[in-house]
Amino acid sequence: MTETTLNIEGLKTYFFTEAGIVKAVDGISFNLKKGESLGLVGESGSGKTVTALSVLRIVPKPGRIIDGKVEFNGDDLFKKTEKEMRRIRGSEIAIIFQDPSSSLNPVYNVETQLRDVIIAHQNIPKKEARKKLIELLETVELPDAETRMREYPHQFSGGMKQRVAIARALALEPTLLFADEPTTNLDVTIQAQVLDLLNDLKKRFGMSLVMITHDMGIIAKMTTRVVVLYAGRVCEIAKTYDLFERPRHPYTEALLAAVPRLDRRKTLRVIPGNIPNLIEPPTGCRFHPRCNYATQTCKEDIPVLEEIEPEHFVACHEWRNISLKGERSH
Amino acid sequence: MASNKKEEKPKEKPKRRSAGQWAVAWRRFQRNKAGVFGLIIVMAVFFVGIFGSFFAPYPARPDTGAYAPFYEKPSQVRKPPSWLDPEQPNKWKYLFGTTPIGTDVFSDVIHGTKYTIYVGLVVTIITMALSIVVGAIAGFYGRWVDNLLMRTAEVFLVFPSLLFILVFVRIFTLTVGEPFWTIPIVNVQIPAGLTIVILILALFNWASNARMIRGEFLRVRELEFIEAERALGASNIRIIFRHILPNLLSSVIVVSTLTIAYAILLEAAVSFLGFGDVNTITWGQILQENFSEMRTVWWAEIFPGIAILLTVFGFNLLGDGLSDALNPRLRE
Repeated sequence: MTETTLNIEGLKTYFFTEAGIVKAVDGISFNLKKGESLGLVGESGSGKTVTALSVLRIVPKPGRIIDGKVEFNGDDLFKKTEKEMRRIRGSEIAIIFQDPSSSLNPVYNVETQLRDVIIAHQNIPKKEARKKLIELLETVELPDAETRMREYPHQFSGGMKQRVAIARALALEPTLLFADEPTTNLDVTIQAQVLDLLNDLKKRFGMSLVMITHDMGIIAKMTTRVVVLYAGRVCEIAKTYDLFERPRHPYTEALLAAVPRLDRRKTLRVIPGNIPNLIEPPTGCRFHPRCNYATQTCKEDIPVLEEIEPEHFVACHEWRNISLKGERSH
Repeated sequence: MASNKKEEKPKEKPKRRSAGQWAVAWRRFQRNKAGVFGLIIVMAVFFVGIFGSFFAPYPARPDTGAYAPFYEKPSQVRKPPSWLDPEQPNKWKYLFGTTPIGTDVFSDVIHGTKYTIYVGLVVTIITMALSIVVGAIAGFYGRWVDNLLMRTAEVFLVFPSLLFILVFVRIFTLTVGEPFWTIPIVNVQIPAGLTIVILILALFNWASNARMIRGEFLRVRELEFIEAERALGASNIRIIFRHILPNLLSSVIVVSTLTIAYAILLEAAVSFLGFGDVNTITWGQILQENFSEMRTVWWAEIFPGIAILLTVFGFNLLGDGLSDALNPRLRE
């Protein structure tokens, strides 16, 4: 069998705000195999980003990891010292953020900024780091890399900035890459380019990729397996194809129905209601207030994640009793 | 070959800042007429402060005993500005008139310029150093550290600062024996009383700047590239010094300029009220010395007053111009 790169078990990350404890991630478990592309899907506030930040142990205050285990290549990351973690960040696990316009430091040019990262981790002479950098920027298809790397972030377009940000994330050749909605703030045409690039780089560097997004189109294009999150909990884990064909969780069905399609003459369906308040989340299944199939049990008991068929997990009390429509039947 | 070389030349010597935000800011600054005017005034003040003793018509007064008559001839006492004086054949002799003790106001103003610069710069350097340290610690660590430091800052802000400054200045200047201190190693003499005034001004000035720095720090801390750097393994120290503070530089420059103006004004006020260092003839000191005869010898008050006004005005214009030029919200 393929080895597991990342194994998350019962991760809980809470934010201790003045208004109360926000349970942003409340018992999430999933794993990631070596070289796999995993999708992490959910609405805003479902805990996708916080999960990634928790793995790297850079959850911003007042957030704190409360419980759980994160194993990376068999090592428990929560048992590492801060110093060991600093080495792992970037060189083993890297992350690309959502907003390319603010993910680069405006006071340094691209060369300085990226060279810094390489030198801080690898202790190689400036000249060598520079050579490596040019190569790297060429890998992310930044045109005229040698000249342009002397320019400042404000002189780059959004797509180019995201390429630079990707180059920075890849500078130390990490084995695991989190891409946190890397294309949300880009034009559609640029989106496709950046996604192709990511796919390409993933193959070339042999990385495992966790694609964080709320865009089912990106999931379909980029991933082989999907974890669906809702309000800090896992709803469903399945192979991408299975998930689109036969979703087993009502929330997944609703997500799929909310994807706009050009080949169907139908009004777009939206999921009624909003993502729940995570300070006092709904009892039982967190999706029940918005679920068409909810019963009394759903209000009272927390559903556990069960494997209903090989590699298809779902956390729903009613999965046996309901038949849900996949992406094609909408 | 030749054309090849031409193309490569800019690559060999990259002007690292040429396309950076400083170049953009400078271009924007040049379009701001008021700011450029301020810069010209400030440069003129620095020029007079540094080279003034070479072209002042009369030498500086002796270091001590400011009240001792300096010019012996009684005919030189209380002369109006020569260009207003029908009895004075040389229209350039006393441009700003002379004081009741017979000193030339024009020369006094020129010799006082260096003290003005000294006050402005040193107060600002100490103030900014204090406020950057306090603001950065409060902004970075947040929570109780932030609370403690900012409440302390508020204590300083609610003091009627001028009153406290006067009290402290009086207490400390009384304890000074010699009029000058010599800095060891570099062997530079600094006016003791004035330096005490400076230290006390700085002590009562850091609070508002520290609050500003803290606010800016909090703003930059939340930007995504800080998170990105952290995700790449940067330590706290590295994030503070390499990533946050450089982003505060433009705000620090603007605030420093305005602080210089404020410090000059405050020192003038302290000296004018008679709490200053009598051994160093700052502009405020000139005002104080000649105040009792202001009705007749008005020129000894007006001209130093104009000097203070112009200088403060210049620094303020410069600060406003820099603020517009460096303001990231307007960045191209």
